[in-house]
Amino acid sequence: MFRKILIANRGEIAVRVIRACRELGIRTVVVFSEVDRNALHVRYADEAYPIGPAPARESYLRIDKIIDVARRAGADAIHPGYGFLAERPDFAEACEEAGITFIGPPPRAIGAMGDKATARRMAKALGVPIVPGTDGGLSNEDLMRAAQIIGFPVLIKASAGGGGKGMRIVRSPEEMPDALAAARREAMAAFGDDDVYLEKLVEGARHVEVQILADQHGNVIHLGERECSIQRRHQKLIEESPSPIVDEEMRARMGEVAVRIAQAIGYVNAGTVEFLVDKDRNFYFIEMNTRLQVEHPVTEMVTGVDIVKEQIRIARGRKLRYRQEEIRQTGWAIECRITAEDPFNNFMPSTGRIVTLAEPTGPGVRVDSGVYEGCEITPYYDSLIAKVITWGETRGEAILRMRRALEEFRIIGIQTSIPFHQAILNSTRFLAGHFDTKFVEERFAMDEETPPELEEVAAIIAALVAHRRGQAATYVARRPARPLSQWKWFGRYEQLGRGG
Amino acid sequence: MRVEIMEDRLEQLRRWRAEALAGGGPERVAQQHAKGKLTARERLDLLLDKGSFREIDPFVTTRVTDFGLAERRYLGDGVVTGWGTIDGRLVYVYAQDFTVLGGSLGEGHARKIVKILDMALKNGTPVIGLNDSGGARIQEGVLSLGGYADIFLRNVMLSGVVPQISAILGPCAGGAVYSPALTDFIFMVRGTSYMFITGPDVVKAVTHEEVTFEQLGGADVHTTISGVAHFAADTEADLFFMIRKLLSYLPSNNMEDPPYVPNGDDPLRMEERLNTIVPDDPARPYDIKEVIRLIVDNGDFFEVQPDYAPNIVIGFARLGGHSVGIVANQPAVLAGVLDIKASEKAARFVRFCDAFNIPIITFEDVPGFMPGVAQEHGGIIKAGAKLLYAYAEATVPKITVITRKAYGGAYCVMNSRHLRADLVLAWPTAELAVMGPEGAVNIIFRREIAEAPDPEARRAALVAEYRAKFANPYVAASYGFVDDVIEPKETRPRLINALEMLANKRDQNPPKKHGNIPL
Repeated sequence: MFRKILIANRGEIAVRVIRACRELGIRTVVVFSEVDRNALHVRYADEAYPIGPAPARESYLRIDKIIDVARRAGADAIHPGYGFLAERPDFAEACEEAGITFIGPPPRAIGAMGDKATARRMAKALGVPIVPGTDGGLSNEDLMRAAQIIGFPVLIKASAGGGGKGMRIVRSPEEMPDALAAARREAMAAFGDDDVYLEKLVEGARHVEVQILADQHGNVIHLGERECSIQRRHQKLIEESPSPIVDEEMRARMGEVAVRIAQAIGYVNAGTVEFLVDKDRNFYFIEMNTRLQVEHPVTEMVTGVDIVKEQIRIARGRKLRYRQEEIRQTGWAIECRITAEDPFNNFMPSTGRIVTLAEPTGPGVRVDSGVYEGCEITPYYDSLIAKVITWGETRGEAILRMRRALEEFRIIGIQTSIPFHQAILNSTRFLAGHFDTKFVEERFAMDEETPPELEEVAAIIAALVAHRRGQAATYVARRPARPLSQWKWFGRYEQLGRGG
Repeated sequence: MRVEIMEDRLEQLRRWRAEALAGGGPERVAQQHAKGKLTARERLDLLLDKGSFREIDPFVTTRVTDFGLAERRYLGDGVVTGWGTIDGRLVYVYAQDFTVLGGSLGEGHARKIVKILDMALKNGTPVIGLNDSGGARIQEGVLSLGGYADIFLRNVMLSGVVPQISAILGPCAGGAVYSPALTDFIFMVRGTSYMFITGPDVVKAVTHEEVTFEQLGGADVHTTISGVAHFAADTEADLFFMIRKLLSYLPSNNMEDPPYVPNGDDPLRMEERLNTIVPDDPARPYDIKEVIRLIVDNGDFFEVQPDYAPNIVIGFARLGGHSVGIVANQPAVLAGVLDIKASEKAARFVRFCDAFNIPIITFEDVPGFMPGVAQEHGGIIKAGAKLLYAYAEATVPKITVITRKAYGGAYCVMNSRHLRADLVLAWPTAELAVMGPEGAVNIIFRREIAEAPDPEARRAALVAEYRAKFANPYVAASYGFVDDVIEPKETRPRLINALEMLANKRDQNPPKKHGNIPL
């Protein structure tokens, strides 16, 4: 097994990977930017190295510095987490050249799938259903023409990335030039590559993805699907597994397609094949994410497979520990992504110090967190601070547990998306499982009013605090700052005895 | 016991309690409120932590029955006594109730106060008296006088053992003034409180002076002219807050250290502003209070007697969370000279700090003692000696910072190394000398100047020479009279470090019954 793994990431995912390493008895190395000196992943790792200023491009995206740290620390493998360098073939190559194992797919598989247009071409060749659209590498003029042929509305997507960055919906030809420019700009900033392609926008679509695992010996299995339709601006907010619309037969078919794609490109390690599912439950291949997904825990909860540990084993050359028929989904798991954003103010990023933090626990609750009480939330990186995952025997139980867990979650000092999640979890459409990727943006409104009884409670608390403050002229420490000195005490005693 | 009988007894208890709580009755309470004053219990509510007050002796009444007192018996006898907490720390309190027989002091009333003072002494706990009394209860005759004297004795016994604080919240006249006068700090309210030995009527009869209550013994008079009181407040609520604040600097008794109050101010904080605060011209004033605020924790300086003898500044502050008493010459008033009032004001404060284990920080910029017939005839020799005595006998940590002038006898008096100061620090602007350059040159070179062809030029040259040679801290530092010369900006860290260094200091005075301070 590996002796030491470098995690080229930060936040909750770095902590998640460190945990897997701990369980496998592998030492861990992390890197950090100047503002992350006190971050949780730095505290949690065995070793930590500074790699530059706060902006990711000068730190977490610096391949040279990370490889250098890996060499200096004597790491024999690198786990990229998600985001940052996770889907950069040049990073995987740089690792290879440095003689360090990259825990992820081979560079060529990343390349094949990282360019979404290529991926689409390949899927087409395999006879996998795809959404009508274009290849990558086209000029703005060509894309414009293609859009006319496909028919509006269309979706502009970045060839190099995911997560909604560089993605734009275009409903008419007039919007096209601005949208293209914006999408390319975003893609450039996020992935260092401004190539984009088009796809027909399937209305009323759901986003369902299949988790696969592939070893270096040609074995590929899938771990079932994840429902990720609760999104806002293409950012997933709530994920669950299984999906309320996928049955056993459909699962088998989707899984088979996913495995077939992985095999076709010689895929190795964990990956995710994303599908659009339309109103009639037809599914279309969209893209493959050649990395660990943020929402991987829901799959772990229902299958019992530790995906990160599997990734490490696979990278070491081990055979898969499971055959397809051994994979069974038990119960239901839901994940809420808790972000440092203000849901009452258009999801404005919220920064500052977390002064109080109590994370939920109890039966069926898992929290993958990247923060601690007293830590600072800076504006430089993704706003995800923790993931709450609950498991229940049924979807209903999982939802009830999630509600309970979010109620327990106490976080003071920054605004978080928790109230938003609570509102979703209370909406009848979510409870019934009737939603698509546009649900949050188009058919869901948060109740912005604070219930009057809560306002009353807040007023009483404020009055009490103000009262207490007015009461105490001074806060007197209960314990003396200095220990009692016998020397001084005896001197004082003697002096008093003498009068004066 | 049968429930019904017990119920009767409880009923009686509740009735009497209610009677005690009612004081002099609603009419008298209304009168008290109309004067802008609070009742005794309302005052205790404001003074103490909410709900912490526990009363004792609510059933005490007077035993005297003459002159109609038999019909006018009040439960509690005109004073509310007990204990409570301030910022969570125990204090004993008594509050005279003006609504009951004018708060007059009779035998029962006095016994209640005496009991509280005795308890404070046994338990080593501060005692706060809220005074609002018409004076002796004449119907009780000499019993009343005896009651006063019993209280005075306790005040003296408690002096220097536990802090004693008096608030004057109404009249306090005649013999009654001596109890507050014996305590450590007196607080008064502007407009409603008076202290005097004899009132305006008697004054008029004896000396034919026409004077109002306020002019004779109001809060402003006693905090600016007589120095009898230490603090004047605009309202009773302000006054109670000031008492609470004062108490936070004080230990509960003379064996304990003052409370530690962590306040977040950086112990290593440097203040660049201090480096330029002393003017180039030694004759120009600057505000020593600004120096103090820049140095102490969070700039929080609780000044004592701010309006009396303002040429010296005294008060409490914290350094690194620990209480210190500060004594500072104020160059902005009379050049910071020491006169009779200033010397006595500072002397009493130094002795208070010494009695209660509060380290003393002295900021020195003093040109000397005040000259003049009035001063000499007023006994400035005695007054200066008091300050000298107080500093010399004090055994608490004593630190001096010489910011500018330290001339002549005043240098000796202001906590010099020779009077057992533990540390004397000087700013580079310090001038330690027998006198200022002009005076020195006039004496040393009197003949030379007189015989010079141009006396003024000669004088100026000699002054310059003298200034260059002696008007600095290094001559004194070379003798070890100044322990170190520091950059003004590093004063705060240096003081906090010194206090830490002196945290376990102990020192002794020779055995004696008591010294004989030149009173």
